[in-house]
Amino acid sequence: MPTILQKLAGVATALRQRLRGGDDPNATRIRRRQVLTNKLWKGLPFIRLVLFLVGYLWMLALPSSQFGQRIYIDENALQPAQVHTYWNWNDVHRADRILEDLEQLRDRNATNDEIARYSVGVFEKLGIPARTQRYSFDTLGGAINGTNAYAVMAAPRASGAEAIIISASWLSRTGEGDETLNLRGVAIVLSLAGYLKKYSLWAKDLVFVISDGYLDGMQAFITTYHGLPQANLHTEPLELSSGVVWTAINVDYPGHSFSHLGIFFEGLNGRLPNQDLMNSVGVISRHTGGVPVVVYDDLDPRETPSAPTVVPSWMPEGLKNNGDVQEYAMRAKVISRHVNYQARGAASGVHGLLHQFRIDALTVYAVPATGPHGFYALGKILESSLRTMNNLLERLHASFFFFLLVRPEIFMKIGMYLPSAILVGTSMLFSGLGEWVNAGWLLTSVSLEDEEKSEKARPRSVEKWVSRDRPVLDAVTVMIATHAIGYVFWEAVSRRLAHPAILFLIFAAAPLLVARLPQPTRPGSAPVSAVLKALNLCFTSAVISITAVLNFSLAAALAVFMGIPLTLASPSPRLPSRIGKYALYSILALGWLVFCPEDTGKALWNWEVLRVWFAPFVCVVYVPLVLQSALVCWLPS
Amino acid sequence: MRWNICSKTSLLLAFHVATAFALHEQFDEDLHLRPLRDGKLLSRFSFTTLLKGATPRDPQLLSVDDEAQHYTLFPLALGQVLREHAVTELHLSLNAGRWNYEAWGYPDEPGVGTGAELWAWMGDSTQTSVDQRWQGLRNALAGLFCASLGHLDEQRTTSPSLTFQPEGSLPNFTYPHRLRHATLPSEHVCTENLTPFLKLLPCKSLSGIASLLNPHRMFDADWHGLGVHVRYREDAGVEVRLTFQAVFDPVRSSNDRRRDWSLRSTFDRSIERACPVAHSSKVRVELPHGPSPYSITPEPTGISDSVATYAVDASDEALDVALRWPTEGSFEYPNTSKVPPLTDVSVRRTLKGTSQAEAQLTLVITNNLPVQVSTGYLETMPWHLQFYLHTLKASVNGAARDDLVSILSYMPPVPHSRPALLQAVLTLPPSSTLHLTMDVLKPFLRYTEHQPDAQRGWDLPPAVLVPFAFGETASQNHTVSQPAGTIQGSLVRPRRIYTSILLVDLATPDFSMPYNVIILSCTLIALLFGSVFNCLTRKIAIARVGPTPTSAARQEDHTPAPEPQAQ
Repeated sequence: MPTILQKLAGVATALRQRLRGGDDPNATRIRRRQVLTNKLWKGLPFIRLVLFLVGYLWMLALPSSQFGQRIYIDENALQPAQVHTYWNWNDVHRADRILEDLEQLRDRNATNDEIARYSVGVFEKLGIPARTQRYSFDTLGGAINGTNAYAVMAAPRASGAEAIIISASWLSRTGEGDETLNLRGVAIVLSLAGYLKKYSLWAKDLVFVISDGYLDGMQAFITTYHGLPQANLHTEPLELSSGVVWTAINVDYPGHSFSHLGIFFEGLNGRLPNQDLMNSVGVISRHTGGVPVVVYDDLDPRETPSAPTVVPSWMPEGLKNNGDVQEYAMRAKVISRHVNYQARGAASGVHGLLHQFRIDALTVYAVPATGPHGFYALGKILESSLRTMNNLLERLHASFFFFLLVRPEIFMKIGMYLPSAILVGTSMLFSGLGEWVNAGWLLTSVSLEDEEKSEKARPRSVEKWVSRDRPVLDAVTVMIATHAIGYVFWEAVSRRLAHPAILFLIFAAAPLLVARLPQPTRPGSAPVSAVLKALNLCFTSAVISITAVLNFSLAAALAVFMGIPLTLASPSPRLPSRIGKYALYSILALGWLVFCPEDTGKALWNWEVLRVWFAPFVCVVYVPLVLQSALVCWLPS
Repeated sequence: MRWNICSKTSLLLAFHVATAFALHEQFDEDLHLRPLRDGKLLSRFSFTTLLKGATPRDPQLLSVDDEAQHYTLFPLALGQVLREHAVTELHLSLNAGRWNYEAWGYPDEPGVGTGAELWAWMGDSTQTSVDQRWQGLRNALAGLFCASLGHLDEQRTTSPSLTFQPEGSLPNFTYPHRLRHATLPSEHVCTENLTPFLKLLPCKSLSGIASLLNPHRMFDADWHGLGVHVRYREDAGVEVRLTFQAVFDPVRSSNDRRRDWSLRSTFDRSIERACPVAHSSKVRVELPHGPSPYSITPEPTGISDSVATYAVDASDEALDVALRWPTEGSFEYPNTSKVPPLTDVSVRRTLKGTSQAEAQLTLVITNNLPVQVSTGYLETMPWHLQFYLHTLKASVNGAARDDLVSILSYMPPVPHSRPALLQAVLTLPPSSTLHLTMDVLKPFLRYTEHQPDAQRGWDLPPAVLVPFAFGETASQNHTVSQPAGTIQGSLVRPRRIYTSILLVDLATPDFSMPYNVIILSCTLIALLFGSVFNCLTRKIAIARVGPTPTSAARQEDHTPAPEPQAQ
C-alpha cells in the first residue's frame, strides 16, 4: 500500500514540476506569460485576419439553411389559436357595407376631416365613444396635416388600466406609403369594433385608431396619448383616454383579396416587438384563418409560381434549381430587407411607431392577390389574435426581443447572429491596440546578456522594445474636432442649407483644416497618424459592439462599411497617393450625400417627423469616424 | 317520516324564536332598477338589518367580557368581527370595472372605486391601538369575504378624514374616533366573494329579491360591486347594509340589439317567493324619460315621482318585472360628444411619460355646471409613485391658474412603508376645464419587493373628488344655475367621484433565464478583454530585488516575488 501511495505522490510531484517549471514559480509564471504575449503579438496580424474572415463569413452564412431553429411560443398565457371564433358572414357583410361608404368617400375626394368624421360616426352608432384629432407637423418640406379618428371601448368589468390598440392607417404601407389606400383595412377595423362590442370577455380596453396618412397620423396620436411633446407637432389633445397599452395590431389590407398574410415588425430605431406576438399571430393565421404566413410580402417562388424568382439570373442553371441555393436566396432576401429597415431605424409599418412606448406591435399585411382570402379569414385572424393578446396578465417579456426572422417559422437566436458583428469589432479592437503599442514602442535589437543574469539565460542578441512618446492629446483633439465637424454637418444637412454636392465638397475638405491642429511631430515621439488610427479603431470597435446589442443590423452595416477600410488606412509618403486615399475615404464618408439623395431625404423625414436617430447618428458618428481614417492617410507618418 | 316531523317542529320553533327576536331586529330589502341613457340597466340591491337599541362596543372596554351576541337576522359572523375589534362604522366595497360617470351618472352607492376599498371609524383606546384593531379587522374581513383584504397593510393605509366623513353618528367614547382607509385596486371580484356575502343574509339567496343574485349573470355585467356598510344610528341602533350594484347591458345580450329587459332576461330568474322575515321588500323601477313610449309589466303597486314600486309579498305568483319599448327597433346609442354629462364634474386621470424613472400625473377636470364649483381632491398614493409636489401646476385654457388649487394637507410617503396622502381643494371656474399636472417619481424597488407577475406593473388607487360648494360667486351673474340646483337639491352629503385606477411600470429586472445568460456571457467577455488588453499593451519583465542569496537553491523560495513591471 505505502508503495502505491509513494508512487502516486511521486507522479504528482513530477506533474507539478512539469507544470510549474523547475525554479522560482513566479518567475516561471511571468516567463510563460512573456512567451504567450510574444506569441500573441507575433500572431496578431493572423488573428486579426481570422477574426475579420470569420466575422464576414458568418454574416454571409446567416441565410444558410443550416442556421436557425423553429419558432415556439414562450409565454404560456398567450394560448394562440385556442379559441373558437364567432366572426361570420354577417360581420363580413357589415364590413362590405362600410367599405362601400369608404369607397364613396374616396370617389368624391372627401377631405381628411370628412373621413375621420365618418369613422367617428360609425363608432358612435355602435355605442363606442369616439373623437377626432387634428394634427399638423411642421417640416422643411412643408406642413403635414391630417385628422385621426379614435375610439375607446371600455371593456366590461375591466378597470381601464390596460388597453389594446387596433389600428389601420388611411394609407397602406404598399411602397412605403405610396398613396395606396388601405380602405379594406379601415373597413375591417370599423366593423370589427361593432363585432367585438358584443362580447363581455375583454379584460382590457380596446382602442381603435383610424390614423390619417401613412405614419404621421399614428405618430401624432401615440405621442399625444403618452404625453410626449414634439416641437414640430401641433395637435389637439385627446378627449378620451385609456390605460397602459401592452400590445397592438395594425391592419393593412390594400388589395381586393389576399393570398398570404405578411408580417411586418420592425420599429423605429431598430426596436423589435416581442417575438411571442409575431409567433402567435403566425400560428393563428395558419390554424384559425387557414392563411399561409410570409415575412414581409415576399412570396416564395417555390410555393407560388407567379412570384418573381429570387435566385439571380447569372447563376448557372444547375445551381438555380438547387434547393439549398433557393433557400439561401429566399432567406437572404428576407434578411437584407430586415437589415434595410432595422439599420436605418425605419418602421416597416404603422406598428413601428408604437415600439418606442414599450408596446409590442406588428402589422398584418394582406398581400394583394386575386384570392382566395378576404374579410372572412382576416376577421377570424384578428379576433383570435385579440383574444390571445387579451389573455396577457403581464407585459410580454422573457428576452424574446433579440431575433432574426428568416422565415415565418424559423428564426435565429441572438447567439447565432450577434457574434458576426462582434468579431469584426474585436478584430478592429485588436488592430487598434496593436497600433497603440506600435505607436508607443519601437523594436530595436540589443543584447540580452546584461539585461538578465540567470544561469539558464543563454547569451543571445534579442529584440528589445524602446518606448517613445505618444501624442495622445493631438489625436484626441483631432477626433473631437472631426466629431464637431460632424455635428455642424448634421445641422447643415438637416436644414438643407446647400446643395448636397456643395455640402459634400465643404465637409470633405473641412477635416484638412483639422489636420493643421496637431503640433509638428517632435523627434522621438510617434506620429499623430499612428495614435489617431489606434484611437479611431478602438472607438469604432466600441461603437460597433455597443450598437450590436441595440440594433444588430446597424452594427453589421457599420462593420461592413468601416471594418476593413478603417483597418487598412495608413499614411503614405507620396502626395498623389495621399490625395487619392483621402478622396476615397471622403467618398466613403460622405458619398451618400451625392449618390443616394432619395434615401437621405427619407432619413431626414424620419428624423423630423418620427425622431429616428439614424440620420444624426450617421452624421455625428459614422462620418467623423471615416473622416478620421481619411486624416490618418493624410497626416504625415 | 320521524325525521320529517322532527324537522318540521324545529322549523316551527325557529319561526317562533325568529318572530320573538325579530322585534329587536328589522330586515328590509330593496331592489332599485334604473334604465340608463346608453341602453344599460343599473340595478342596486340593498339589504338592511337594523339591530335596534344596540351601540357599538367601546374600545376602552375591550378587556372586559363582551355581552352575549344573540342574533336572528343580524349577521353573526360580521357582528362578531365588529364587536371583537370595536368598530363603530365600517364600509367595505369590492368592485369590478370602471364606473362610467359620463353615461351612467352618479351611482346609488357612492363607493364605486375599482377594486377593494375599506374604511372604518374606530374609537381610540389605551387598551389596543386603532392600528392593531385595524389589522385585525382587515384580516377578519379577508377571511369572511375571501378577498385579499389582508394586503391593505400600512403601505396602503391612510386617514383622509376630510373626504370620508362618518355616515352615521359616532358614540361619545372616552377617546375620539379615528379613520382608517385603504384601497386595493388590483382586487378582482368574483363568485368567491358573493357566496360569503349571501351567507350574511337571513334568507340567503333562497327567497326574496336576493334570489335574483345569480352569479352567472351578476359577474357578466358591465360593472358590478358589492358593499358592506355598518353604521351607528344614535336614535335607532346599529345598522348593517349589504349592497350589490350591477350595470347590465340588455343590448349586448339581446339578439336584435334592443334595450328591453325583464327580471328574467337580466337575472335569468324571477322572484318566486318573498323572504318571510323581511319587514319590507320592494322592487323600485325608475321609469325612463325619453320620448319613445314604453310599457311596464306587471302593474306596479304604486307610482310616485316616475318611480314604479312593487311590493314583494307572499303571493303565489312569481314577480317578473319587465320594461319594454314596443315601438323601438334596435337601440340607438346617443352620441357621446353631444349629450350633456350627467355629473357636475367629469374627471380624467392619466399617467403620461415614457421613462421608467419619471412620469407625469395628469388630471383633466371639467366643470359641467355654469357656476363655480369647489371640489375636494384626494390622492392616497402608495409609495410606488412619489409626487414632486412643487411641480403641481393648474391651468385653464392653457393659462396658468395656480390660485385655483389650495392644498389642505400633504403627508409625504415613506418608501417601503407608508403611502402619501394629498388633500386639496380645487376651485373650478364655471363651464371650463382645469388641467392639473404633477411630475412624479417612480422609485426603485428592492429585489424582493417585486410581485410574482413583475412585468405587470403596479395598480394605483383611484383619486377621489368631492364637489361640495356650488356657485357662490357666479350664481349672481347666472340665472341658469337652477338645473344644477335641482341636482344638488337631493344631496344630503357631498357625493364622491372616483377616477379610474392607474397602472404604473416601475423599473423591473427581467427575472427570466436568457437575460441572465446574456449578463453572464458579457461578464465573461469583459474579463477576457482585460487579459487580452494586458497582453497587448503591457510588457512584462522579471526584475530581481535585494542581495544575491548565498544558497541559491534553498533561498530562492524566500526571495521576494519578482514583480511584473507594467509599462
